[in-house]
Amino acid sequence: MSGTEFRDGSGDDGPSTLAAEYVVGTLNQAESEAARARAETDSGFAAELRDWEKRLFPLTALALPVEPPTVLWARIERSIADASPARAAAADTPRAANDNAMRFWRAATFAALAVAASLGAFIVVRPQAPPLSFAVLAPTGVAAPVLVAFGGTDGGFALRPSDAIPVAADRDLQLWSLPAGATRPVSLGILPAGGKQLPPGIALGTKLLVSLEPKGGSPTGQPTGPVVYGGTLQRL
Amino acid sequence: MPADAISTDVQLITACAAQDRAAFRTLYTRWGARLHGVALRITHDPALAADATHDAFVQVWQQAGRFDPLLGEPGSWLMSLTRYRALDMVRRRGREVLGHEPGDEPDTGPDALGVLMSSAEGGALHRCLDLLSVERRRLMVLAFVDGYSHSQLSTRLDVPIGTVKSWIRRSLIGLRECLAP
Repeated sequence: MSGTEFRDGSGDDGPSTLAAEYVVGTLNQAESEAARARAETDSGFAAELRDWEKRLFPLTALALPVEPPTVLWARIERSIADASPARAAAADTPRAANDNAMRFWRAATFAALAVAASLGAFIVVRPQAPPLSFAVLAPTGVAAPVLVAFGGTDGGFALRPSDAIPVAADRDLQLWSLPAGATRPVSLGILPAGGKQLPPGIALGTKLLVSLEPKGGSPTGQPTGPVVYGGTLQRL
Repeated sequence: MPADAISTDVQLITACAAQDRAAFRTLYTRWGARLHGVALRITHDPALAADATHDAFVQVWQQAGRFDPLLGEPGSWLMSLTRYRALDMVRRRGREVLGHEPGDEPDTGPDALGVLMSSAEGGALHRCLDLLSVERRRLMVLAFVDGYSHSQLSTRLDVPIGTVKSWIRRSLIGLRECLAP
């Protein structure tokens, strides 16, 4: 068996253990390169690698997301332009900075948030007066309670969760506003479990974001944890 | 809602194979922080992590045509590209010397694994990891998440390297059985 040289005689674990060890990352450089070379020619072995990658993939959630350096995207673009010079002139139109920021945050994982697996019943909030504006702050990718913001006649807003949002005891949810065109969000304070009343003065088009922060809120004045909710204030 | 926000990862990767820069950018905004976080955890070095994330995305662009949605899943494909790059860098740098003091890593106890419960696959893995002893579970996390090699684990846990290898193998075999459909 071609995997024999990778084993230390501690038992007949079969080649699948070699695939698993490669995926886990404990093989040394030479062993890893040999395993990678084997995957190129041995489709059964390549399939074992994929199976192990899939099995262990959820463990990657233990590493909290970290925003890459802002210059990294430009560096990647340069690299792929170098790799395909014919396409270099076809770069896509740059997007608004806040749009990029928003989609980055939307991409932030829910890893650190202990979101309940099942979705609670959606509670219909009926304001006393017809709402003038509203925002739906929906989670991406995970079934979780929804946050709804309702504009009141005084120009202020009520932000209400559809159901209790489970948060670890040592964490708090923090609310942020990101006015259209802005690139740095402004804190609106901790978001209590029952929701929050927001004062007048938040313009239509402003994005509302909720991040998971250490108890008491972000120590830096900017989101430090994953942004778990986001939505834009818009006219009804 | 912009079209790219509702595109699936498979659609984006397929578009990358057709040289669609906008799809590539969307994939980056969607996955960049997660991949970079994983690279950082393995390398413990911001510059190396940035290199690994960079290389992984360049590989995504170049190898998107090789991705087969019938065989693989986008998330584990993207993560694997990143992890292997980060692990290679760490190995090449010869991180055989231990630079980590106890307590260097975030908590890897049972509570930390609670984040796995937010997905069905993660829940199954969590249940199976729970069948391992605390020490072996810790070993798996240090190896997979923190990029520890056999020899580093041996030093860190103060057990012979053969024992480390044997524990990891048995843990993996146990996981495979537990996770079998």
